[in-house]
Amino acid sequence: MSAWVVLTRPEGAAAAVRAAAAGGAVTVLAVGPRELADAVASAGADEVLWLEPQPGFAIESCAPQVADLVAADSPQLVVGGVEPQVRALLGAVAARLGAAVLSEVSTVRADGMSFVLERAGLGGAVVQGVRTVGPVVALLAADEDEPVDGTAVGVRAAEAGATAPVRVVRTQAAATADGLGTALTVVSVGRGLRSRDDLAMVEQLAAALDAQIGCSMPVADDLGWVPKDHYVGRSGQQIGPRLYLALGISGAPQHLEGIRRAKVVVAVNSDPAAPIFRRADYGVVGDLYEVVPALLDALGH
Amino acid sequence: MTTVVVHTWARDPGNALVRPDGTVEWRSTKLVPGEDDPAAVSVALGIASARDDELVAVTFGDADPSWALARGAARSVVVADASVDEDEAGVAALVAATVRSVDGVDVVVIGDSESHPGVAGTVAGLLGWPVVLGASTARWGDDGLEVARRVAEGVQTLAVAVPAVVAVRADQAESRAPGMKEQLAARKRPVQRVSVADLEVPATVAATLDSTRLPATQGARLFDGSPQEAARALVGALRSEGAVR
Ligand SMILES: Cc1cc2nc3c(=O)[nH]c(=O)nc-3n(C[C@H](O)[C@H](O)[C@H](O)COP(=O)(O)OP(=O)(O)OC[C@H]3O[C@@H](n4cnc5c(N)ncnc54)[C@H](O)[C@@H]3O)c2cc1C
Repeated sequence: MSAWVVLTRPEGAAAAVRAAAAGGAVTVLAVGPRELADAVASAGADEVLWLEPQPGFAIESCAPQVADLVAADSPQLVVGGVEPQVRALLGAVAARLGAAVLSEVSTVRADGMSFVLERAGLGGAVVQGVRTVGPVVALLAADEDEPVDGTAVGVRAAEAGATAPVRVVRTQAAATADGLGTALTVVSVGRGLRSRDDLAMVEQLAAALDAQIGCSMPVADDLGWVPKDHYVGRSGQQIGPRLYLALGISGAPQHLEGIRRAKVVVAVNSDPAAPIFRRADYGVVGDLYEVVPALLDALGH
Repeated sequence: MTTVVVHTWARDPGNALVRPDGTVEWRSTKLVPGEDDPAAVSVALGIASARDDELVAVTFGDADPSWALARGAARSVVVADASVDEDEAGVAALVAATVRSVDGVDVVVIGDSESHPGVAGTVAGLLGWPVVLGASTARWGDDGLEVARRVAEGVQTLAVAVPAVVAVRADQAESRAPGMKEQLAARKRPVQRVSVADLEVPATVAATLDSTRLPATQGARLFDGSPQEAARALVGALRSEGAVR
């Protein structure tokens, strides 16, 4: 039995290998520059295979060849992440293997001839155990950034093969708000704030915590209280601070997509049923107009 | 050549009731447009109208075909007896087979759904076409479609030769829903109903639900008491975690 991990970024490699190990000996197929393959060589796999798009071509151009390489080994389990590039590759693999496709997978366990995969269903409201008999492609939930300390295995370059016509025309560096992307602490405000003037209070809290200011989309887009490059979410900034403090933010799934990598999430919201409390580690159910001054006090300001 | 937009291919998670034992009851299994569907139709319409062709909408089961017709699709194909569930490979197989049944298709646009991230790529794999996922815009360029999408490194513009699949991610909610005039026009546009038996749907490995439970961590640890008490307890907890100095 064998299993494959297909990846286009080093983040989450060790977690992917660990999940794939349920399927037997693990081959990592790293698609991208050589440094990527070297970076994942110690992620715990039995073998690392490296494939680079031809000059000027996008990662997606490798899809047919990735499908060829993986299918030649007939693995029962193929694991990958959720970035657009890797999903394009995994789609080609799934089609070639006639595999089941499961997303939001957290763990994989072998059980006789089948696999049982645990996945988050309904946006995390339930954990489902799904059984598959036959090949399965598992898209892992989050890319956990844990250190890898395995011994490095040798990297073998794959021979050039079939290419799909997808070229890179240009890449424009992302417009990240100054400091927001790298901030250790982010204080973020939503429509629970009643007026622009009240932002002063939030700024005071941010100063006390040495934090950057973030916000939900409507606060930047509709209200224009905070610059647009400060809103957090699928369409805005995707950040991974050590502490994310959400004030008067309901926690819409599109907003939560921006804080998948955040370590500790704190929510202050007057509605105990606000979905943000499901994602948060700590919470205060209350009026932010009372809680923020109290927090300033508690912090000694 | 024909441009196809695939829409309304998943249930509304708002209709799922999670019971205290972690099992799920679907109060309605009606298919509803996904959050990326309006953006997908709009991108598809741009692609089709730039080359003067009609946009064909594809949908399933009890979905409302007039949803896409009112947004500019010229006609609709509905696989009326298709049952769409949470099996992503199964949905992809159905989509791919339906696309194959429409004449002369060289562009398929579909929403790149956050909750079903495996579908669009697998559709492309089954068709054997290149795909760009996470797309925000697409227009015709010198070598086929020029598709922009956001990745970790920034905004990337890719040129993809057709036939191709473009999976669109919406950046915001739909800004303007169709008005009465568009709704009325939609009713006059042709809807072709086909059956799964008319299609060649490739077999996929079945995934069966073995167990379902509530997540181990049930949300946030809440601090009660007066705002002052809650704030002090919160700051204390954050300090002991090293999240606050
Ligand atoms: C395709 C698409 C993409 C999107 N992308 C993004 C995105 O990238 N980022 C994003 O943020 N959103 C995005 N959205 C919008 C998202 O769906 C939500 O509408 C938005 O995040 C809500 O913002 P909010 O939480 O500030 O406001 P609301 O949902 O209105 O929540 C306000 C919250 O404040 C609480 N509140 C009110 N008064 C107080 C008080 N005095 N004290 C404490 N709490 C209080 C309320 O209980 C409520 O929970 C997107 C939507 C779509 C359809």
